[in-house]
Amino acid sequence: MLTFAEEILVLLLDDEDGVLLPVGKTALDCALAGSVLMDLAFANRIDTDPERLVVVSPEPTGNASLDRVLKHIVDHEEVQDTKAWIEDLSSEAGTIQEHALASLVAHGVLERQEEKFLWVFRSRRYPVIDGKVEQEAKKRIADVLFSDEIPDPRDVALICLADTCNILQTVFDKKEIKRVAPRIEQLRRMDLIGSEVTGAIADIERSIMLAMAYPMR
Amino acid sequence: MNIEERKDGEVAIVSLDGRLDGFTAPGFEKTVRAIVERGDTRVLLECERMSYISSAGLRALLVGARQCQQNGGKLVIAALQPACRSVMEASGFLTIIDCHDDSQAALAALS
Repeated sequence: MLTFAEEILVLLLDDEDGVLLPVGKTALDCALAGSVLMDLAFANRIDTDPERLVVVSPEPTGNASLDRVLKHIVDHEEVQDTKAWIEDLSSEAGTIQEHALASLVAHGVLERQEEKFLWVFRSRRYPVIDGKVEQEAKKRIADVLFSDEIPDPRDVALICLADTCNILQTVFDKKEIKRVAPRIEQLRRMDLIGSEVTGAIADIERSIMLAMAYPMR
Repeated sequence: MNIEERKDGEVAIVSLDGRLDGFTAPGFEKTVRAIVERGDTRVLLECERMSYISSAGLRALLVGARQCQQNGGKLVIAALQPACRSVMEASGFLTIIDCHDDSQAALAALS
């Protein structure tokens, strides 16, 4: 089973170009941070409520990327809420993304291509070589969005992340997505970690705006 | 958490006492799965003595409600305490899972 970070990156990658679709940096960083917490929650290593995030079991999951974050949470002396953890972990989004892309390459979902331009600068692309994973993720999302059935919690979490990255309008028809906006709103509230991602993005963007408005002298 | 099971006609009643969180949610999920697998798909959760619900508890509820629905039945909740009701309202769960003031009302809805 893919991690949430892997699934969201598969949805975000342009199949042919192999580059990420344009997403706000804060949104992507917080979505990747939230995705790791979601995986740890689904693996029953952590649990959350609106006030705090607690460790249920410190036992490693076997996934190096998740276990690095789990150890960080276990070693942290102060209990803090989910939003604070998302804000903390968003600074590690680059590492989370690298691990997830490497894992997708190892699983044969993506291919890694390195290119040089202007003889100096390197760029990396990840074209999709097995589209099945992406199609399955899209189908799971569509099955939940376009029906009234009780959703699977994993699909709710994936939809929260996809909406955070604003890619539902890219993956599906814009009019259809507009039509199911109330359903998306309903689902977004249902995953407590997913709903805290939105709050973390707002906090970080507010901090950036304040830093720009009142630069340190 | 203490989980007790009984039957009232066609309805399986599960009484929850304590905290439904990451430590107890796996046991709860196992109980509901066993109930649905033996063919009882109309399930009433009595929550009068459920003191706390976390995100793991909410996920377990969703899994149980989904299993009942997929097998042609329904899972409903009765007698939620204010603290748990507040979490379930804020997270939109009460728009998905029916909640009744007491077991009698819930049984009537399931019958």
